Amino acid sequence: MRSCSRLIRSVSAVLCAAIAMMCAGQAAPRLPGELAWTIGYDPKTFDPAKVDDQESELVRYLTAGVLLRFNRSTQKVEPQLAESWSLSPDGKTVIFKLRPGLQFSDGTRLTAKDAAWSIRRVLLPATGAPVAEEFVSANDVTVETPDERTVIVHLPKRVIGIGKVFDEIAIEPAEHQSEGRVTAGPFVVADYRRSQYVRLRRNPHFQGRDAKGSVLPYATGVRLDVLDNHEREINLFARGEYDLIDGLPPDYFGMLKQKTPAAVRDLGPSLNTEQMWFNQSPGAPLPAWEKAWFQSQAFRVAVSRAIHRADLARIAYQGHATPAYSSISPANGAWYNHNISVPHEDPAEAKSALAHAGFRLNGSQLEDATGHPVKFSILTNAGNAARLKMATLIQEDLKSLGIQVTVVALDFPALIERLMHTQDYEACLLGLENVDPDPNAMMNVWLSSSPNHQWNPSEKTPATAWEAEIDKAMNLQASSPNDAERKRAVDRVQQIVADQQPFIYLVYPNALFAVSPRLLGVQPAVLEPGLVWNIESLRLEGAK
Amino acid sequence: MRGRVLASWLLLGMVLIAIAVVAAPGSSYSNQDRDLPLAGSSAHHPAGTDALGRDRMVRVAAAYLLCLAGAICASAITTAAAAGVGTLSAFSPESLGRLGMLVCDVFLALPWLFLLMMVRSALPLTTSPAHSAAITFLVLATLGWPACARAVYRGACDLRNAEWMLQVRAGGLRGRQIVRHVLPNLVPLLIPQFLICIPAFIIAEANLGALGLGIGEPLPSWGGMLLELDNSAMLLQTRWVYLPIALLILILLLLEAIAVEA
Amino acid sequence: MKSAVSLLRRLARTVLVVFLVVFGSTVLIRFAPGYLSDVREMDARYGDAARTELSAEAARSSSVRQMLSTEMSAWANGSLGLSRQYDVPVLELVLPRLAVTGSLMLRAIVFAWSLAVGASLLSNAGRNPSLLWQAPTTLLLAVPTSAIATICLLAGSGGPVLVMTLLLAARDFKFLDRLLRQAWRSPHLLQAKAQGLTTLHLVRAHILPNVASQLLALATLSIVTALSALVPVEVIFSVPGLGQLAWNAAMNRDLPVLLAVTMIMAIAVTCVGMASDRSADWQGA
Repeated sequence: MRSCSRLIRSVSAVLCAAIAMMCAGQAAPRLPGELAWTIGYDPKTFDPAKVDDQESELVRYLTAGVLLRFNRSTQKVEPQLAESWSLSPDGKTVIFKLRPGLQFSDGTRLTAKDAAWSIRRVLLPATGAPVAEEFVSANDVTVETPDERTVIVHLPKRVIGIGKVFDEIAIEPAEHQSEGRVTAGPFVVADYRRSQYVRLRRNPHFQGRDAKGSVLPYATGVRLDVLDNHEREINLFARGEYDLIDGLPPDYFGMLKQKTPAAVRDLGPSLNTEQMWFNQSPGAPLPAWEKAWFQSQAFRVAVSRAIHRADLARIAYQGHATPAYSSISPANGAWYNHNISVPHEDPAEAKSALAHAGFRLNGSQLEDATGHPVKFSILTNAGNAARLKMATLIQEDLKSLGIQVTVVALDFPALIERLMHTQDYEACLLGLENVDPDPNAMMNVWLSSSPNHQWNPSEKTPATAWEAEIDKAMNLQASSPNDAERKRAVDRVQQIVADQQPFIYLVYPNALFAVSPRLLGVQPAVLEPGLVWNIESLRLEGAK
Repeated sequence: MRGRVLASWLLLGMVLIAIAVVAAPGSSYSNQDRDLPLAGSSAHHPAGTDALGRDRMVRVAAAYLLCLAGAICASAITTAAAAGVGTLSAFSPESLGRLGMLVCDVFLALPWLFLLMMVRSALPLTTSPAHSAAITFLVLATLGWPACARAVYRGACDLRNAEWMLQVRAGGLRGRQIVRHVLPNLVPLLIPQFLICIPAFIIAEANLGALGLGIGEPLPSWGGMLLELDNSAMLLQTRWVYLPIALLILILLLLEAIAVEA
Repeated sequence: MKSAVSLLRRLARTVLVVFLVVFGSTVLIRFAPGYLSDVREMDARYGDAARTELSAEAARSSSVRQMLSTEMSAWANGSLGLSRQYDVPVLELVLPRLAVTGSLMLRAIVFAWSLAVGASLLSNAGRNPSLLWQAPTTLLLAVPTSAIATICLLAGSGGPVLVMTLLLAARDFKFLDRLLRQAWRSPHLLQAKAQGLTTLHLVRAHILPNVASQLLALATLSIVTALSALVPVEVIFSVPGLGQLAWNAAMNRDLPVLLAVTMIMAIAVTCVGMASDRSADWQGA
């Protein structure tokens, strides 16, 4: 017996020691004065000309020196590296006057030569810069530098919002691609560990000054941790490891609000929309009767009327969303159509409209005129809890009409393949991120010939009269210099969309952020990057 | 012996209670009481409601019946497959045995995630949730066997080389009768494997929801309810979120008690 | 001579397994939905760039034979191909992560086995299977990995090593407990106990030799379980190891990286299997 108890004791001791060794916590080294937050994935590139994903764009925003900066708060173009700029009346000549005494982060002088080289490099087809498309015909653009501080850009055709385009062109040292290591912006890329973090340090030669003339940026650096896990992000934020959360999921909003009420912000509806649409592509591998339902305006409007959007906002987003009826969010003050007439919630009206269109209730199952039961699937992406909840709520709403809905959540690549390549789906529920309030940025979605014309991509000619009308109106707003005319065209598009319901808009999710009380200077804006657009002016309390 | 009987009765009792809860008139696992999402317990909803206002008690009972049946069947199939492959490989001529283990190794290393995606894309999108559930458990059952098969193979090889087995085979016993002698000795390996597979499959079914397989809405998924536990906001909102995990642990302990050696 | 032949045979077997796995993986990955799709296609800003990349990829992977030959030539010149996501040689991605993952797995397996052995010895000190030990292990099996991770986060301590250890230990305990209980109940042991031998002597001389081969089988099962538990643990805790790399590659259909990782997995699995066969033969001899 004694040996038995001895054995027990020794084994227990080993066990306890092992457990103690395993419980070591995690340390996250943080430099003084350094701001930290997370990004969802590794930036694909640090070359500012080749940026084509969101996180690379963020790194570019934080590090690049640009001639003009589009102020995300006032939504006006401001000179940054340029002291002043002017646009000729015909819109084909842009003249920049650089500030005196500009330097790159390594101390070398920044002159018009560098600016011209950077612009030319972006326009080169070999670079493949996405921003080159904004120039319409990049090959015909010429850049001149009559002297060290002047840059003249000649455009073959007028470009609407040319000022904003220069917000995306980083000025790098001539003949010397630096991939973010030598910049003229507030920060410089200092260290990159794949799948772990990107570390930026302050640019000592940044030309920005605050109102009192102090050197900007205030922060000594920025650390962007690559983290895709909301739980950990919020836990680390609550512990002070991160200073802000861009895009807080609604269910964590309430939790953080209880812990630190001062930290969370709900800025009201964002520019983004969540919508459902039916597959109207004639080439889709669907039976003919299903295509007939989806191409019928009465059917779409009836489905739209049956959905209780207030419930979607209240339950799926826990109140942090606004019911949506129109393609443009009310947060987009300049372009939102206040006088639009939309089909509101009315299940009784929906039922009678379906009856008029030839659908009949057989017991509790709705059937169309040919006797086929009305069943379809709603596709959405896995990993978004709010969308899944909305789909389930819609499933229940449509059950009252007698329509049987299956909810299928797929991973993104498989979803995109169905949406954009094979058109093998019936209905889809996804969100659209609108980064730019100007409707011109949404041309790809509304033009019927575009591959992003979700309900019927890449049409050779508009399939219906109303799609042709949308094409006309969007082309008009793209080319017209008259603001009032543009507004009328965009209003018309919104009304057509509300009448025809190709997209059944569900909610506008609110812009939810968390900002540490220690972080000073944050002025959240509706445009990306909403919290750090004024990164130079952000600093931690107590830091220098 | 008494423990086993008691455990069996308890298990049966739980199944009957679950059936009673689900079959009770007026109870529905999909009805959304939209005014009361994530409510606490009340007369109308004894275990509160979930995020969409659906009665938690009915959903847990329905999930219990559905997922337990699916997971137990899938576990049984997997364990049987592992036992079969392992034993056959051990008692076949050496080259066949090695071939069997080669197939096992290849199976283990292949990325089955993509096969699951292909299964999903082959299924029509309007597959009913019940069919989708059955197919998911079936697919899980066919993919779970390699891990255990090798251990069974090892065990069976040792048995084959044991003295009493040599005597038995020398005495002229063949095939099915050998299996009858072998399997009881492999039980210490197979029973734990069976019991471990049950929660593993329940959770795997929920994870497959990310690929489009799994149990579709509005059918309740026990694995899905378990996965709610990883959301700290949920953990803080309601204590009823612990009901599914408590039930699962109880079931597993009862099954252990039933499967104990005399 | 015989050992050289057997070594050659083992090598051939490994190569065969690796080849079959690579072939199978290529087919599975290429024909799974979403290989030629990218979520950036939905974004008006990045759609065109994404489509250009995808059409280039489509040209490169029009047939399995073409893809395999590209991969083989990439392996022949040592770089293991170019990652589709990151545009860097796969070897550069894999090598640093190999160390991280290896260390995590080694620690987890060692701790898990110590815990499991200790717990099953303690559990067998009682007459009946003790609820004290069964309940926590069942809890660990039933709770999803992500929930355990959340609890660790809320508690503020514990990381990937702890979570993986607990997961493996729970599984190992279930097997070991039953094994030891069966060994403890065997008749010749009762006699030895009646004769007054100490527990330690009993364990060392009578139990261990009998269960040794089954322990080996369990060890292989345990390692295989560890390999599959690696991915969720690394993804949830953002450990920069092979599991996280494999997950990202799977989500982004990065074929070269996935092939490299599955090749490593195939070699690991084959080696473990062969080691257990070898030591079992040595045991039996």
